[in-house]
Amino acid sequence: MSARISATTLRYLIVIGLIALWELLPRTGLIPELFLPSLSSTLVAGWTDAAEYGHALAVTLYEVVVSMAFACGGGILLGAIVGSLPRPRVLIMPMVSSLYAVPLVILYPVFTVWLGIGSESKIAFASIYGFLPTMLATAAGIQTIDPQLLLAARSMGATLSQRLVHVIIPAAIPTVLSGLRVGGALVIVGVVVSEMLISSAGIGYLISRYRTILDSPHVFAGVLLVLFLAIAFNAAIRWIERKAAIWQTGTRAGQANDEIASSAMQPAT
Amino acid sequence: MQPLANVTPLKPPARAGAIEVNNVGQVFKTRSQDVVALEDVSLEIKPGRFVVLVGPSGCGKSTLLMMMAGLRQQTSGTITINGAPIPQPDPDRVGVVFQEASLFPWLTAEDNVEFPLALRGVPKAERRAKAQDALKLVGLDGFGKRHPHELSGGMKQRVSIARGLVQDPPVLLMDEPFAALDEQTRMTMGDELLRIWAATGKTVVFVTHSLTEAVYLADEVIVMSARPGRIVDHLQVQLPRPRTYEMLSGDAFGSLRDRIWRHIRKSA
Repeated sequence: MSARISATTLRYLIVIGLIALWELLPRTGLIPELFLPSLSSTLVAGWTDAAEYGHALAVTLYEVVVSMAFACGGGILLGAIVGSLPRPRVLIMPMVSSLYAVPLVILYPVFTVWLGIGSESKIAFASIYGFLPTMLATAAGIQTIDPQLLLAARSMGATLSQRLVHVIIPAAIPTVLSGLRVGGALVIVGVVVSEMLISSAGIGYLISRYRTILDSPHVFAGVLLVLFLAIAFNAAIRWIERKAAIWQTGTRAGQANDEIASSAMQPAT
Repeated sequence: MQPLANVTPLKPPARAGAIEVNNVGQVFKTRSQDVVALEDVSLEIKPGRFVVLVGPSGCGKSTLLMMMAGLRQQTSGTITINGAPIPQPDPDRVGVVFQEASLFPWLTAEDNVEFPLALRGVPKAERRAKAQDALKLVGLDGFGKRHPHELSGGMKQRVSIARGLVQDPPVLLMDEPFAALDEQTRMTMGDELLRIWAATGKTVVFVTHSLTEAVYLADEVIVMSARPGRIVDHLQVQLPRPRTYEMLSGDAFGSLRDRIWRHIRKSA
């Protein structure tokens, strides 16, 4: 009876199940095609208008990449300053934290007035949207560096710049990356939502346009593209996390390795 | 370029490792009042001695150690290592071993040991060779490629000791290095430390809360009182070396430990 299925296999089974349901429920008529078009008709819709979707994807990708550069670059820079200096922390942090609670999307119409309905207003909105969590995470990451590590570096004669490069930055990477994960996801949300609201191009715009003419397969083709975008982003961040922060293998993995190290002296994976 | 293990305790360089503390005081200024952490502390530590600092929590023993490391400056008095003051950390004269958490988790064991050498631009090959020697000395030959999270608590502390020794400083300062370890590992590490000390002839200053550990390891035990921190006793531990587990239950051991305990109970 101990034929246990691993969590990974189970996850794949769930995904496959959901895909099968997506195809079967509309086909059997349990859900009207208007509400949920079957997977195959969604794919066909996307395929027949591949050029249109390709163009929209390019626009959206461009906006996402530029916004991420602004949000992450600015967020890391300001977060590092705010995290390491007590004075700006006292001044800025309360403001940033309360700003975080405001639904920033209310600002978007203002941005379109200032910057037009092209890419600029989306980039401005998505940048600010993703900037806040990145900055907060970076500040937290810098603040929570173990002071013992800095003391040890100092005892070995490390100068301030050496401590920054060899201790503070590597120690902050895991927290910063988790901030990037949230910030980057919000950038994607920001771009797509602003495209859906007021726009003339991009995946969000396509979804919104096809919805007004009740063309569900085309709407869902757009949804599928956004889904892939988000998954690809998440995979990219995971890859960077694995590369950059190999030591932060999660607390449970770390403990398991500790046990292996202390009980049997065999190499941990 | 002498390998660490070949530095014999019989021929320490002249004055290398001597520590002199003269009338040192430390006052912390807080908003409401001045707190005297250390008051008129004087002591002399001869080269190659194993000296343990004990005292109740907050007696300033760690503060004193940090001053010897050049990591903190005293309000008054002087501290000299090898006859010269120590206004900032000097890894050529003093190696420091902290509590467990101070290894860089993103570096492998050997990269951690090489870290102080890398800071001063020592070439890679030389660095690696020295780190290998230091890891061998602490009994971690072959574990250089592990990250700290793949090492047990005792092994991590061995890496810390290797890091403290890699530049071959005459003085090794240890701030409660085994406090986070379990009892058995702690005993083993004590023996290991004594072996390393005998092999290298370093002057060791060791801060601990454990009276048993203090007597077991030390040539001399310095007992400090609670705030303001002062030296209330300076014991010579005459037990023969190598120290053995059986000595722990002996009368000589017991009476030394009792004497320290009476001081601490009085001041706490």
